[in-house]
Amino acid sequence: MTKPLSIKNLVKNFGGLTATDDISFDLNEGQSTGLIGPNGAGKTTIFSQIMGEYRQTSGTIELYGTEISKLSTPARIRLGVSRTYQVPRPFAEFTVLENVRVGLMPDSIWKMITESPNVDREIELALSVGFSESDLRRTPDELSMGDLRKLEMARTMATNPRIMLLDEVFAGLTVGEIDQIAKLIQKMRSENMTFLIVSHDLKALEPLVDDAIAINYGKVIAQGSFASVISDKAVRTSYLGT
Amino acid sequence: MGLGLRWYHFALWAGFILVMALMPEFVSKGTLRTMIFANFLAIFAISWDVLSGRTGYISFGHPFLIGIGAYTTAILTKRFDVPVEYAIPAAIAMTMVGGTIMFLPALRIKGSYFALVSLAFMELIYQLVQVIRPDLTGGTRGMSGIVTLTRGAANGYYLSFSLMIIVALSMWLLMRTRLGTALSAIAMNEESVKGSGLSPTKLKLFAFMTSAFVAGLGGAFYVHYLGSIAPRALFDINFVFTIIVATLIGGASTIVGPMFGAFFLTFLLEYLRPFLPGAERYLIYGAIALLLYMYQPKGLYHIFMSQLDRFKKSGDDD
Amino acid sequence: MLEIIIQGVLLSGLYALIAVGFTLIFSVGRVLNLAYGAYIMVAGYIYFYFSQLLGLPPIAGLLLAGILGACMGLLKYNLIVKPLKADHIAVEISTLILAVVLQSAVILCFGNSAKILLPIIPGVIHIGNATVTYNVLVATIASWLILIGLYLFIKRTHVGRAMMAVSMDTKGASISGVDIDKINMITWGISGFLGAIAGVFFASYTQLSPTMWVAPLIIAIAIVIVGGIGSIIGTLVVAHIIGFMEIISVALISPQLRGVFTMLLIILVLVIRPKGLFGREEL
Repeated sequence: MTKPLSIKNLVKNFGGLTATDDISFDLNEGQSTGLIGPNGAGKTTIFSQIMGEYRQTSGTIELYGTEISKLSTPARIRLGVSRTYQVPRPFAEFTVLENVRVGLMPDSIWKMITESPNVDREIELALSVGFSESDLRRTPDELSMGDLRKLEMARTMATNPRIMLLDEVFAGLTVGEIDQIAKLIQKMRSENMTFLIVSHDLKALEPLVDDAIAINYGKVIAQGSFASVISDKAVRTSYLGT
Repeated sequence: MGLGLRWYHFALWAGFILVMALMPEFVSKGTLRTMIFANFLAIFAISWDVLSGRTGYISFGHPFLIGIGAYTTAILTKRFDVPVEYAIPAAIAMTMVGGTIMFLPALRIKGSYFALVSLAFMELIYQLVQVIRPDLTGGTRGMSGIVTLTRGAANGYYLSFSLMIIVALSMWLLMRTRLGTALSAIAMNEESVKGSGLSPTKLKLFAFMTSAFVAGLGGAFYVHYLGSIAPRALFDINFVFTIIVATLIGGASTIVGPMFGAFFLTFLLEYLRPFLPGAERYLIYGAIALLLYMYQPKGLYHIFMSQLDRFKKSGDDD
Repeated sequence: MLEIIIQGVLLSGLYALIAVGFTLIFSVGRVLNLAYGAYIMVAGYIYFYFSQLLGLPPIAGLLLAGILGACMGLLKYNLIVKPLKADHIAVEISTLILAVVLQSAVILCFGNSAKILLPIIPGVIHIGNATVTYNVLVATIASWLILIGLYLFIKRTHVGRAMMAVSMDTKGASISGVDIDKINMITWGISGFLGAIAGVFFASYTQLSPTMWVAPLIIAIAIVIVGGIGSIIGTLVVAHIIGFMEIISVALISPQLRGVFTMLLIILVLVIRPKGLFGREEL
C-alpha cells in the first residue's frame, strides 16, 4: 500500500542557512503524527515544502506514490493535502461563509461560473469548527484570534483533503476552543484522515496523535510513539536547552 | 448558477433599459451625443473594473488595450478595405493578445509596480504608434475618414447603448457567480487563494482576457463611431484618469457602479460646460472625485447600498 | 561624439534632479507620489509668475518656487497621504487625480497655451562644436550640488539618518524612538522643495505647458524603478543611463524613439528584477 506522504532526504538551504537537513519520514493512512521541536527547528519549513510554497534544495516528497516536487500548490491540494497557517490569512472583506466558499471552489473557471455555491456545505463546515449561526455573516475584522484559527481550519477542510497539516492550531485559543478543535480532529481521525500536527502545547497534542517526530536544527532527533519521543533525552535537552 | 437574483433585480434592469431606450424621444440631439460618450466610457470603465476593481491589479494603462482595438479595426478597414464585420472581431482578438502581453508582468509583480508597468505600456505604444509604420497608423496625426457604422445621433445612441447594456449585464451576471468571488479573493490575498487550491494565474489570465475583450470591443466600436483616431487623445493620462474616476466614483468591483459613474461624470462635465467652457472643468470634476474618493473609496454604489440597508433596517424595527 | 557626451551629461544631471525628490518619498514613505510631475509643472508656473510677470530677480523666483513647493508637499502629506496611509494604491490613485486637478488649475490661471520661460541665466558657451547654454549648465551644476548636499544631509545629520532608518524599517525605527510622522513631514517638505527647483530648470529646458507634467513624472518613475528604493547613488547612476540612452537614440537612431527605450527598460527591469538595479528590498 502506498503511503499518503513519504518524505526522503529533504534538504532546504536558504543561502548559508540549512533549514531542513536530510529529513525523512512517512505518514501512514489514518495516522496522526505530532511534529515537535523548538522555535526555528524547521517545522513550518517542512510544511511549506510539502505544499510547494518553497522548492526543496534536494530530496523527494511523494503523495500517495506521486512525486510532487514539480507540482504547483493548487495541484498538490487537488491530490489531497492541505495546510493551515500559524498566522491566519483570511480574505479580509469576505464573510466567514465566503471565506469557506473559496476553499470549496473547484479549480476550473467553467465550473466556478456554471455551478452554484454549495451553501449547505459551507454552513456545515463553518458550524463544525465551532462557529455559531450568528458568526456566519461576520467579516475577519470582527473575529477573535481563536475565530480566525477556526476559519483557517474550515477553509482548509473545505479543500477536501485526505492529509491535513495543522500549524499551531491551538495558539491563542481559549480552553473551550481548544477542546472544540480537539473534538473535531478526533472526529476526523475516526473518519480516517491523516494528520501532521505542529504544536507547542504538548498537553493538548498528546491525545490527538499516535506518533511524534521531533526535530531540531533541521534534523530529525527522535521518532516513534508520542510517549517515547517526549521522554527521549535529546528531545528534552532541545526543549529545556540544557 | 447561484446568481442570487431577486425580482427587484429584473425590475430594476428592465426599468433602466426601458427608460434608456425611450431616451431619444425626449432629449435633444446634443444630450444624446453626450450619452453616446457616456455609453462608451461606461464600457471602458466596466473593462477596467473587471480587471483592476476585482483583482486589485491596477491598470494605469488601460488605453493600451482600448487603443489596440481601435487601431486594429481602423487600419484594417481604412488601409486594407476589410469589411467591418471581420475587422471588429479581429480587433477584439488583437486586444486579447495585448491583454496577454499585459498579463505577463502580472505573473511576477503586483501593487504599485504593476500599476507602473501598465503606465509604461501605454507610453510605449503611444510612442511606437507614431514611429512604426506611420503609413499604416497615420503617425502623430492619426487617421480620419474611418468608416462609421451609424448616421444620426439616435442611431449612434441605440448602437452604443445596446453594446453597453450587453456588456454591463453579462459582466454583472458573470461577477455574481463564484468566479467573481474568486477574483475578489485575489485582491485580498493571493497566497490564500493558492492555499485554497485555486490557481491565481488561471484566474488572473481570465480577468485580463475578459477585460481586454471588453476594452477591444469598446475601442473598436468607438473608433467606428468617431470616424477618426488620434494618438495624443487616446493614449492620454487624462483618459486613464476619466476611466478610473468613473469606476471609483460609481463603486469599484460592482459593474453597476462604474456604469453609473460614467453617466454621472459625463453629465457633470456637460453641465459644467456653460460655466467653465475649457479644460478647467476638470478642476471641479477632479476636486469632486478626490473628495468623494477620500470620503468613501468604495463609491456612490456603496453609499447608496448602505442607505438602503439603513432604510430596510428602520423598516424592520417598526 | 563629444557632443553626445556633453549633451548626455547635461540631460542626465537634469534628470537626476527631477528624480531625487520622487526617490526620497518612495524610499521613506513607500508611496508613489503621482502628483510629483504636477508639482514640477506648478513650480515652473510659480517661477514664471514671480520672475517674468512680476519681474522679481530669478533667484528670488527660484526660492519662492522652492518654498511654495515645500508647502505643497506638506499640504499633500497631511491632507491626502496621511489619511490614506495604509493603502498605497489609494494614495497613487488620489495623487493621480490631484495631478489632473492641478493641471486644470494651471489652465484656469494661465491658459492652455505653452509659455516660453526666459533662461534663468542667459548666454551660451561653446565646447568643441557643441553649444551649451549657461542655463542648462547651471541646471546641471545645481543638480550636482543638490545631490551632494542631500547625500551629506542623509549620511551626516541626525534627521537624515532617521530618514534612512524609516526607509529601511518603519516599525523598527518607530520602536527606536523615531517620530515617523515628523520624518515623513520633513521628507515631503524636502521633496516638494527639490521637485520645485527641478521644475524651474526643467521648464526652462523645455517650455511651460499645462500638460508638461507627464514627461518628468515618467522620467522620475523610470529612474526610481530602475535604480531601486533608497539609493541616491542609484538615482544618479540610472539618471545617467536613461539620459545617455535618450541622447544616443536621438542622435544615432531616431528622435522619435527617444522615450521608447526608457519604457522598455522600465518594463524589463520591473519584470526581471523588481527591486531595481541598486535596490535594497521589494516594496
